[in-house]
Amino acid sequence: MGINIQVHGLKLAYDAQPILEDTTFNVDRGDLVALLGANGAGKSTLLRCVSRILKPSAGSILLDGEELHHFDSKEAARKMAVVPQETTADFDFTVEDIVMMGRFPYLNRFKKEDQKDHEIVRRSMEMTGVSHLAERSIASLSGGEKQRVIMARAICQQPEVLLLDEPTANLDIGYQSMLLELAARLNREQEVTVIAAIHDINLAVHHFNRFILLSGGRVMAAGRAEEVITPENIKKSYGVPATTYRHPLHGVLQISVARGRSPDENHNSGPAVHVLGGGEEALPALESLNQFGCRLSVGPVSAQDSGCRFAHFHSLPVVIVPPFTSMNGTHKEEHLQLLRDADLVVVPPIPFGEGNLAVFEEVETALDEGKPVYIIDLEGVERRDYSGKARALLENLVQKGAKVLQATDDLQAVICPGKGEKNE
Amino acid sequence: MTGLVILLGVAALNAMVWGSVSIEWRKVLAILIEAMPLGVAFENLDIQAVHRDILLQIRLPRVFLAAAVGSSLAVAGAVFQGLFRNPMADPYVIGISSGAALGAVFAMLSGFSLAVGGFGAVPLFAFAGGITTIMVVYSMARVGRAVPVMTLLLAGIAVSAFLSALVSLLTYFAGEKLHMVVFWMMGGLGGATWHQVRVMVPYALVGFICVSIYSRELNAMLLGEETASNLGVNTERVKKILLAGSSLLVAAAVSTSGIIGFVGLVVPHFIRLVAGPDHRFLMPAAALLGGALLIATDTLARVVIAPSELPVGIITALIGAPMFVYLLKKRKKLRYFGGGG
Repeated sequence: MGINIQVHGLKLAYDAQPILEDTTFNVDRGDLVALLGANGAGKSTLLRCVSRILKPSAGSILLDGEELHHFDSKEAARKMAVVPQETTADFDFTVEDIVMMGRFPYLNRFKKEDQKDHEIVRRSMEMTGVSHLAERSIASLSGGEKQRVIMARAICQQPEVLLLDEPTANLDIGYQSMLLELAARLNREQEVTVIAAIHDINLAVHHFNRFILLSGGRVMAAGRAEEVITPENIKKSYGVPATTYRHPLHGVLQISVARGRSPDENHNSGPAVHVLGGGEEALPALESLNQFGCRLSVGPVSAQDSGCRFAHFHSLPVVIVPPFTSMNGTHKEEHLQLLRDADLVVVPPIPFGEGNLAVFEEVETALDEGKPVYIIDLEGVERRDYSGKARALLENLVQKGAKVLQATDDLQAVICPGKGEKNE
Repeated sequence: MTGLVILLGVAALNAMVWGSVSIEWRKVLAILIEAMPLGVAFENLDIQAVHRDILLQIRLPRVFLAAAVGSSLAVAGAVFQGLFRNPMADPYVIGISSGAALGAVFAMLSGFSLAVGGFGAVPLFAFAGGITTIMVVYSMARVGRAVPVMTLLLAGIAVSAFLSALVSLLTYFAGEKLHMVVFWMMGGLGGATWHQVRVMVPYALVGFICVSIYSRELNAMLLGEETASNLGVNTERVKKILLAGSSLLVAAAVSTSGIIGFVGLVVPHFIRLVAGPDHRFLMPAAALLGGALLIATDTLARVVIAPSELPVGIITALIGAPMFVYLLKKRKKLRYFGGGG
């Protein structure tokens, strides 16, 4: 292994506007690095310094311990290949011609391409799946095809380092992961060090294993996803509130930007609402009540539950029950308190099992005390009832005066009746 | 490529057959072969001495000169179009012609009777004017160590406009020399001598070799300078060499024959439309076609109103433009150059 690229104290400014300021980081041989950061954070500029297009005014970039500008052009191109965001290709070179240009750094001025070069071109095109396009004009290809051709050209350079500058920005989701998977495969099979500037953090997390977060031309964080992609770092560098969570299918760290509320309008001006329980099924109700400007409370939820994360993210009062335990007396007290503080109570379409049926006791108490209760989707309760008792308990609540809503969308008519009519 | 070589040969042969005095093509070949140091003689053909003189002393050097000028312009045009990635570029786009014209007009009007190495003041001043202009434009466009091609193009156009204004000013006061000035600027190969050929051909060769060994780099430059640089092209050096080589070609061509338009603009497009944008083919092909085209049009210029002759620039445009438009219509679009594939 060992350090492959060493960037130290880079400085660069466009018209006195600093882009890179004391940028410092190391990339080890065989790393698969995603370069993250907001627009204008300096990602592209940094990559263009590493690819020797721009010359920083201070600092050094070492490639295998040697100053980058000591290499001559061809030597550098044998070590490093670049895939840009977009290639303007409006002339009639064939795909094969374009891929063959990747052999340029290996060709002597007076030598023609030999069998070996053609073989490498053939294999690169095969690897990126563009062999069938070989005779086509580059100008006639779609964005996704073109980008794979450029990738094939980069592979032809047989580089040790592959730099990608937002290579997926103009591609559909299919081509996006295909292209990044290609980069990851080069990294795996040929130990190519990959550095890619990527906008889509969730996409990056899927394909890369090291992350560098740039902000204002400085490295704000570097390391594994968990160390770099945190709500605090995202807030600081991108200026938006965000939450992280594990992807429900493959457990990869994911990020989601919270939908912002307009600060002037109905901020906390709505009624106080308590939403029963958590889980993903409660989230639509929580999110729309939040949008309506309700003061929310949540619970009981188990820690790590999505309802719990929602409550923490918005700093809401919440009753938290440790996972795999049932509610004890203290929890019940807290819950009842939240119910009493609220103007109304919402029972979202959450699943019921033996563990959470006990919550109905407090709801019943609140109902008896005259608190309005709304139950969403009573009809569909069987589908998410694992105890077989929920329907009876809910119908008991309806007997005592709880109202039934067809769907989460009907909450709007309850919270802000005027608006609901306008919309319909 | 073979076709183009044949075309060049046919054009040259035609040029030697036609003229105010017509010489049979068999005799032309015989004279040419006899002139070569092979010791062959065709006694049965009854060749007149005057024909031999016309052919060897007047027409042959003119053919060589036309070939050299035509291919220089075509190759320089190809280089400028590729370098600027602009289909409108021609050999004169960054002001070499205006500089040369200023030099030439200045020489004509001041009446210098300078002669260096058998050349009059006009070609010498024209050559110096062209080279000086390109050097001024280059240094104007330089930003630090780099020369962005767009800046170069714009600086060239500005300088060119300024110099053209000066040329117009001088022309306005040209008086009885007006005819000479206008005729020079329309371009022509009249009075070609072996001496001119001997000087022009080495320049053309040096320029041509210079730019054609960088064809692969020029191909990469078509993808954009940044991409070229990522592929291992030392873009600043390549630009410098290509500019120097093509400027040499243009300056040499302009100083021997005045400003012949159209060849340098259209011939490279012609080849690209038919054979694609690969400069490794484009350069030699443009050289052959450019040479053939100028020989052919020059022949016409000599014969249409013989015994007097038209400026060849008029013929190249009159014939070349319709042919080019025909090809354009046939191919529908210039996809190789931002035609919106």
